[in-house]
This record gives sequence, C-alpha cells and structure tokens, in this order.
Amino acid sequence: MRRKSIILTVSIILLIIESCDEPETVVTNYVHPDGSVTRKIEMRNSKNNFKKADLQVPFDSTWTVKDSLEISQKGDTTWIKRAQKQFKNIDEINLEYKADSGANKDVLRHAGFKKSFKWFNTEFRFSERIEKTMSFGYPVKDFLNKEELLYFYSPGSLKNEKETSPDSLKYKALSDSVKHKTDTWVIRNLVSEWIGKFSDLISVRAGNDIKRELLKGQEEKFAEIFQAHEEKFDSLWSNDFFLKKFIGEDNAIKYKVEADSAMNIATNKIFINFKDYSVQIVMPGKLIGTNGFIDSSGVLLWPVKSDYFLTEPYEMWAESKIPNTWAWIVSGLFVVFVLTGVTMRILKKG
Amino acid sequence: MKNQSEKYETIISLLRKSKPVLDSTDEIERVVLKRIKIVHRSGLYLSELVDLLFGWVYIGWVRRSLIAASAALVLVFVYQQGVILKRIDVLSKQTVIIDKEKTTTPDTEIEKLLMTYKNAGRKFPFNTVTLSERQMDELLESIKELQIKYKDLEDLIEGDPELKKLIEQKLIESNRNKINL
Repeated sequence: MRRKSIILTVSIILLIIESCDEPETVVTNYVHPDGSVTRKIEMRNSKNNFKKADLQVPFDSTWTVKDSLEISQKGDTTWIKRAQKQFKNIDEINLEYKADSGANKDVLRHAGFKKSFKWFNTEFRFSERIEKTMSFGYPVKDFLNKEELLYFYSPGSLKNEKETSPDSLKYKALSDSVKHKTDTWVIRNLVSEWIGKFSDLISVRAGNDIKRELLKGQEEKFAEIFQAHEEKFDSLWSNDFFLKKFIGEDNAIKYKVEADSAMNIATNKIFINFKDYSVQIVMPGKLIGTNGFIDSSGVLLWPVKSDYFLTEPYEMWAESKIPNTWAWIVSGLFVVFVLTGVTMRILKKG
Repeated sequence: MKNQSEKYETIISLLRKSKPVLDSTDEIERVVLKRIKIVHRSGLYLSELVDLLFGWVYIGWVRRSLIAASAALVLVFVYQQGVILKRIDVLSKQTVIIDKEKTTTPDTEIEKLLMTYKNAGRKFPFNTVTLSERQMDELLESIKELQIKYKDLEDLIEGDPELKKLIEQKLIESNRNKINL
C-alpha cells in the first residue's frame, strides 16, 4: 500500500507536469440528415507537441490535418492542429473508439444516431456516451441539489465567468459547496466500491462471516472515518487502522490480502487515466432538445471530465427536427378535399 | 264560337304564308346546334368530374373513414407541433448561453484575413490572426535575410569613408526635410 501511495504521488506529480504539455482539445460533430458525420478536432498546445499518446480522442493518418499557430498580443505562441474526417455513419466512429490507443483509451466511449420519420417531421438524435467506470458508486445527483448539479457540469469558461461576475460571492460559495459535497461523494464512492469488491473477494472463502449487507450498514460510518483521517489515509491504511475499525482486529488480520486488493481496485476505478476535453455537436434542422450548453454561436457544448462518468454513464445528446414539406402539402390537400366533399353533401341535402 | 274559330284559322294561315326571309338558314342551324352541344357537353363533364371525385360522400363507410383519417391528421399535426413548441420553450429556459469555450475556427482564407485587416483599422488584432507554420517560417527567414543584408551594408559603409560621408550628408538632408515638413 505504501508503495502504491508513492506511485500515486509520483504519478500525480508527473501528471501535473505533463498536463502543461497536453493539448486542449475540442471535438466537433457536424451531424448530417443521412447519418453521416463530419468530425473535426481542434488541438491547441503551447508547444508543437501532439503525441498520439497525449491525444484525448482517436485520430490517425486517415484524417485531413492542418497545422497553424496563433500569436497573442503578449507574444505567446499557441500551436494548433486541426483535423477533419468524414464518417459515413456512427459505426465508423465507434470503430475508431474501439481501436483508440490515445490518452483516454481506458474508457468506453461510443456514438449513437437515430432518425425517426414522424410524417410531418423527421427527427434526429445524436449522442456520445461514456460508460461508467465504477460498479458500486452513487450518482452525484444524490449529493448535489439542482443548482449545484448545473454548476458541477458547467464548462470551465462559464464557471470562471460567474466567479468574476458581480455575483462572484454567491458563485464562490456555490463553488465551495460543490467542492465540499463532491469530496464527500468521492469518499463515499471509494468506501462503497471497496465494500463491493471486498465482499466479492471474501465471498469465496470458507467460513466467511462478513456479509455485504453488514458492511453496507456501516458504510456511512466508514466514510466519516475515512474523511476525518483523509490526510493520513495511506499510513493509516498500511497500519490496518481503518480495517480494524471496520471489521475488527481478528478479521483485519484474516482478510488483509482481500482488503488491500479491494482498495487497489477501488482507487484504480476512481483515479482513472483520463485527459479532459470538450465535445461540440451541430445538428441538422431545428434543435428541439439537448442536455448540453449552447454557446453564443448556437453550437452545443459539453465538457468531458472523469468525474462525470465515475458512477453513471455520461451521455451527451441532442435532438433536432426537419419539417417534411411534402407531407404538410399532402395532408393539407387531403383535409381540404374531405371537407369539400362533406360540405357539398350537406348543401345538396339542404 | 264558330266565328272565333274561323278568325283563328285565318290568322294562322296568314302567319304561315308570311314566313321571315332568311339569307343563310344553314349557318343559323349550325350555330344553334353548336351552342346546344357546348351547353350540354360542359354540364355533363362537370357533373361527371364531381361525381367521380366526391362520389364517396354517398358511401357511408368511405365517408366516415375519410373524415376519421382527416381528423386524425389534424390531431397528429396539432399534437406534434404542440410537443415540439413545448420542448423548444423548455430548451430556451434550461440552456445557458455562454461564450465559446474553444471553437473550431474556419480555415484561413486570404479574403477573410484581408477583411479582418481592413476592419481592424489596418492593424492585425494579434489574438485573432492565424498564420500557418510555413508562413511563419517564411517570415522568420525573411527577417533573418534582411538582418544579414543590413550587416553587409553596414560593413560596406564602414570600409569606405567617402561613401560614409556621402550617406551621412544625405541623412542630414533627409532629417532637415522632415523637420521642414
């Protein structure tokens, strides 16, 4: 465990150092009525360094690439790599996701497209979905209220804008509240995942008298103990301090191996390798529904962060419609025809 | 009574004997027949067409089915449009309008660059100008070339006192002209 802690610390430091070089990436999906998708990726970096292993989304030599750079007023240079590819359908996008060897290869991502003919209109639904990583976690909506949830899922630029607005105090308080509650949520998830994995591992052992329900009943108490000793977590875990408190001294010795393995699995599920990026979708026709944010140019936007798909799948979806003009004309003529016939009959009768 | 009957017969025979004189009886006959034909035909076609199109109104089950179908169409239309309008209304309330976080800027075309240059008072707004890597390399290369040529020129002037004197004189004249201006 101590070794794991060191590895974790070093990894975090490396991640921070490395993150300075990782490109800021925006993926834009231009969805067409026939189900084809023009996918554009814009990667911005302070260095002309776009290693495949650092890229957040699958990208290879089959894409049309354009390199350029921008110089800010301060003289800072930003290197930009723009790539574009036309996908005949979403299956091609999903194939690229399956074969991804980039920075986010560990997460399961897939796109979906649905076209529904509804006589007067044809409706389209496009989605990008990231599957959840944890098996025993709790949805974040159980911990945050509606306003906090909106803030939690907001893009960084919106958060910054609000925190520097005249209502900055309100938003700073909201930000602190979200941070505090999400910390609690992460610890609760860690405990829940550990209980789930630990129960699975010890269930095969003969003479096992620790049941999942028993541990689940103590979950809140365990989480409070974890949170109270958060700063010394690694050393206290190594000393079996937590384990003795949770399952008693005898069981702590008996199930030490399983408990450590379960904690390894749980931490790996929470601290996954993932590099953030943003997704944009441009739908055909008139937009009628989405769970994303709309920017000033009418483009739908979603930030993609690892917190969003820990315990629940993260689906970014948009729906739009195109009116079927011919159906409107045919229906109108039909109704007029029937009304004329009925009117004529009434007049003749009269 | 007999007297009256005789009078009537006399008038009729007189009328029969005094027929109007017609120049072209055939022509009159043709025109009359043509007009009768036209009136008869048009009436026949319209009624046939009406019967053909709206004959269903006299068949009970067809009439009821078509009325039901058109009512269903109107209901579906009203329902669909109602749902869509409601969804658009909800959408306008729930989404947050924000500035673009990161945008895929359009490909730089020379016209767009020139327009930006023109609109920005002939000054390139640094944060919006996009140069390709090749263009940047060319720019740096030309600056380097210019610096080398300047250095050569400086060496040439330093090595020739007469030329140096001449250039200095020209520079003084030039400065004087600037002040006068």
